[in-house]
Amino acid sequence: MTNKKISKKDIGKLLEGWSREFTVFVPSKDRGVTEMAKWDGKDTGFFEWYRNTVIPAKSSFLPAMEKMFSFQKDTDGYHLELSQDQQKRILFGIRPCDARAIAIIDNVFTDSYEDPYYVSKRKNTVLIGLNCTNPYDSCFCTSLGVKPTQSVDVDLMLTDIGDEFSVEEITDKGKELLAAASVVKKATKADDAKAKTVTAAVSGMVKRKVDTKDIAKKLQACFSDKDYWEKVAANCVSCGICTLLCPTCYCFDICDELSKKQGTRYRRWDSCGFSIYTRMPMENPREEKWRRVRQKVCHKYEFYPMNFDVIACTGCGRCIRLCPVNWDIIQILSSVPAEQPAKKKVVSEKDVSYRY
Amino acid sequence: MSVTDISHRKKFPAQGNIYLPHIVVIDKIIEETPSVRTFHFNFNFKDGKLRKEFTFESGQFAELSVFGVGEATFCISSSPTRNDHLECAINRVGLVTNALHRLGVGAEIGFRGPYGNTFPLELMQGKNLVFVGGGIGLAPLRSIIWNVLDNRDKYGKIDIIYGARSPADLCFKYDLDSWNRDKTVNTIITVDKGDKNWTGKEGFVPAVLEQAAPSAKNAVAVVCGPPIMIRLTFPVLEKLGFTPEQMITTLEKRMKCGVGKCGRCNIGNLFVCRDGPVFTYAQIRSFISDEY
Repeated sequence: MTNKKISKKDIGKLLEGWSREFTVFVPSKDRGVTEMAKWDGKDTGFFEWYRNTVIPAKSSFLPAMEKMFSFQKDTDGYHLELSQDQQKRILFGIRPCDARAIAIIDNVFTDSYEDPYYVSKRKNTVLIGLNCTNPYDSCFCTSLGVKPTQSVDVDLMLTDIGDEFSVEEITDKGKELLAAASVVKKATKADDAKAKTVTAAVSGMVKRKVDTKDIAKKLQACFSDKDYWEKVAANCVSCGICTLLCPTCYCFDICDELSKKQGTRYRRWDSCGFSIYTRMPMENPREEKWRRVRQKVCHKYEFYPMNFDVIACTGCGRCIRLCPVNWDIIQILSSVPAEQPAKKKVVSEKDVSYRY
Repeated sequence: MSVTDISHRKKFPAQGNIYLPHIVVIDKIIEETPSVRTFHFNFNFKDGKLRKEFTFESGQFAELSVFGVGEATFCISSSPTRNDHLECAINRVGLVTNALHRLGVGAEIGFRGPYGNTFPLELMQGKNLVFVGGGIGLAPLRSIIWNVLDNRDKYGKIDIIYGARSPADLCFKYDLDSWNRDKTVNTIITVDKGDKNWTGKEGFVPAVLEQAAPSAKNAVAVVCGPPIMIRLTFPVLEKLGFTPEQMITTLEKRMKCGVGKCGRCNIGNLFVCRDGPVFTYAQIRSFISDEY
């Protein structure tokens, strides 16, 4: 397949053309934290500083806070009004790990009952990837089957080859988008070769590794090893950052907001790191911190694969980079005891006495 | 069903927005105990079509919302054999339940559901049934008890053993009376501690159950109540000869979405909202988790 290419200085023109039909989102640091934000119509300097966003691209489909519907009361009783975002969008510059993460959480939102808010946004969005050429020290994507440069899970994939981007068409959706763009040229053989060189160079740049083979089995074996989990959870401050900013974490809370006779039901990100997450009036199955840390780790590497055949982690390294106490998932996964200490029943009957 | 087996999960047909509640109107409120009220409600005229089409099964639950306060999970305590209205017994313990208790007849609330799996009625047909309940745990039990009593000839002997902390804490006293009068049912009511007017039994449910000693032969036991009661009841049933497959219970977890998305009600890879809330003791024992 022959690739296409586009000069870096033409990116502005390209986005401008798309802006007529789509709302274009690009990496931005306008709000002080890097995220995918609406393009301001002129600035294309983001590839100078952009490595990956702090707020993962999942926020474009499952926003940190999202209005579900509003309700109003009159003499006739309550009236509900749906709120659904139908704008056509382009996410420009999403990294392969984050694109993979979206493909992973698609499972949840399309399984059994379909989630209308997520699915409609997903259908109306074209993903344009930008291959990673400058991974962080904390990245470990290659251990989770993600390459910093790969051509899956997006509609178009761009690779930085100096003054130009090599553009690979992956889906028809992407092809259609390119067809109308006059600034896109055919790539030469030399360009393709350049792209290959870049790809080859990057693959060795992801230094951290963790063995994820059999990890589910190992975690299952040490599930009730309270000593291990207490040790693992010791320095955790339950801030929830590793889950809220994880590109594959999708848990949410549903809340109401009221003003006079009108109100809104919205959902917002929630985290299994908080004890209130599972708290019931009479009891809480995850009151202790070690149970919550265990839930986070086991959900990603054991339970999620049981349900959807894929580990809910892409090795983007955010939970390592952004943790205030340097909690390190790689260390934890590498130190899972291979086998349950002999005859050591760690969670005693007494520990679970308030349960069944 | 083992822990890894999720084959029973079915694909639900598109049914519009799963988070959008239907509006229901409170028809009647019954004061059960100082903290428990039963709400009778029905779909309002705006949802007339649904009123005819709506069905559910014993064991399923619903998400009720007080607009402006929030949404919470309740089991449906009425029987599908009496489908002219729905009932939920609600204990006043948190934000939403307190708001519900402030509502009166005629108030509109939101209703999503029914969700979750059901009691295995087909498996229970032709068998002797033992219902063991404690406190507000009678709510889910009541749905299946009326369901069974309305098809009385399909089932064998029926024992109902129900207890509460005090006579004032007994829920559904009107139902207890009618079961007491029903000659085809053996009903035993007990309280932990009686008051001066109490002439009935005193004692904890597991102990009373052991005394009553229903036979395990061709029987199924359904146990609902506070966790401590369930925990103590299972060993008694085992002593009476019930196998883990013959013991059924419902699990309770904090829920928000009710449809397996929001994440919080998991036990291992299962979600109580979608894979439960009805489980056999055999299933519970096979969970790798100590979190239920």
